[in-house]
Amino acid sequence: MAGVLAANFLYVILITLGGVLVSGSVHFVPVGGAPAAMAQATGIGTGTVQLAAGAGLTGLVTAGAMLNLTDSMALILAAGMVGAMIMIGVTMMVGNLVYVYGIGVPPASAKVDYDPITKDRQDIYVSQGTEGHGLPTVSFVSGIIGGGLGGIGGALVYYSLMSIANGMASADFVGLAAIFAVGIFFVNAVIPSYNIGGTIEGFHDPKFKKWPKAVVTSLIVTFMCAIVSVITIGGL
Amino acid sequence: MSAGGSGGGASEAIPQNKLIAFGAAGGLIAIYLSYFMVQFAGPAFSFIGALGAICAIVWGSAAVRRVASYGLGTGVPSIGMLALGMGVVATMFGLAIGGIAGPIVAFVTAMVIGLVIGALANRVIGMGIPIMEQSTTEIAGAGTLAIVGLSTAMTGTFMFDVVLTEIVATGYIALIFIVAGIAILHPFNANLGPDEKQDRTLSTAFEKGAIAMIMAGIVSAVSAGASAAPTIVIGLAIWYVSFSQYNKYVVRDAYDVVGTGLLPKEEEESE
Repeated sequence: MAGVLAANFLYVILITLGGVLVSGSVHFVPVGGAPAAMAQATGIGTGTVQLAAGAGLTGLVTAGAMLNLTDSMALILAAGMVGAMIMIGVTMMVGNLVYVYGIGVPPASAKVDYDPITKDRQDIYVSQGTEGHGLPTVSFVSGIIGGGLGGIGGALVYYSLMSIANGMASADFVGLAAIFAVGIFFVNAVIPSYNIGGTIEGFHDPKFKKWPKAVVTSLIVTFMCAIVSVITIGGL
Repeated sequence: MSAGGSGGGASEAIPQNKLIAFGAAGGLIAIYLSYFMVQFAGPAFSFIGALGAICAIVWGSAAVRRVASYGLGTGVPSIGMLALGMGVVATMFGLAIGGIAGPIVAFVTAMVIGLVIGALANRVIGMGIPIMEQSTTEIAGAGTLAIVGLSTAMTGTFMFDVVLTEIVATGYIALIFIVAGIAILHPFNANLGPDEKQDRTLSTAFEKGAIAMIMAGIVSAVSAGASAAPTIVIGLAIWYVSFSQYNKYVVRDAYDVVGTGLLPKEEEESE
């Protein structure tokens, strides 16, 4: 056990880093939960966990596809990043189409008076009694950044697990590494979602400043999970 | 989004300690009983593992109910996914290094991870839920026993070499992950509200556990160490009983249940 850990300690560190990246990335993704689904809050109308999991698992799939073709860590992380960014980008774009053309509300943020990126006026477009609606430019950009970080994190966890030397058959090994990555991913998607209390608009939201708390929590928890997963895979 | 929490402890007809005993002891005993019965009496007894999973699912649902009634600040599903995320990591570790003690190692590992997450959630993130530590510990343990129980029902053993090739490599682990996760998070999520009652929520948990059992039965059809028919038949029986019971509780808790009949004809006056 100790020998396996010593030989793979770099991967323990990398898995922990990946988990922390996932945890941090969730703070960038504009999540509005149920209120957003009714166009009463800015963001995508679903829960943090579902969004983070969706982006992360897409990143995992794209990273896994790249892993078949190359051993280059940079390429695998880039594939994971781009996969998650596309997934979250498409989700936000379709969401905006529904908000604008289906519900008929302009994308507007209730947290800032002017969009930090486009400098467009926000507050006069926010409907009465709502916390904003749709995905203004700043939320969209923030979401893309979040997707990218989450994808890198998910891919890093998976790549590290797939790099551990072991004696398993390849199908068993891929399955085990994938389910470990999924488990670690879900834990790190839930922790930040408790930190932000379920809804956040993006990096311009005052709640964004709370990210260190989630990152510290994820650091400790992922480190434990990383040790457990490295011992499991390396020992087989 | 609010989780529909009342901001306080949920009222309990059955104290949590009894449910812990039911879930932890019942789950572990059923998993081991299933394993030994399959060894000595044949694969027909693989269904006992799924009974253990149902015990764990009911316990997990009760723990979710307790903690989520304080209001998690986000949806109830989050804590179910957290449970299975912790659970799947701990299960793979426990079964891989534990051998015959695998389920116990997995159970203990999960509870340690759960305790750490609960402590950090209160101390670092500052969720301020008094029972957070206990609840995440319980939920992680319940999630783990549900995974091990369903795996045992699918393959007839919890030995890692078999679980690895028949559950993990085939991808059924993903099915277990989501089915057990939904079974643990859904009962309270479906029943929450001002008139939520513990017995109604737990009857939903039994019903969801039975659906998981039926699914495990279907998967076990292709496994040499487990037999599908008893698992599916017993699962259906449990589902029928628990769903009828749930229906009774719904009728009991509703203000009134009336048949609306067919749509009124145009000439009839609508009341």
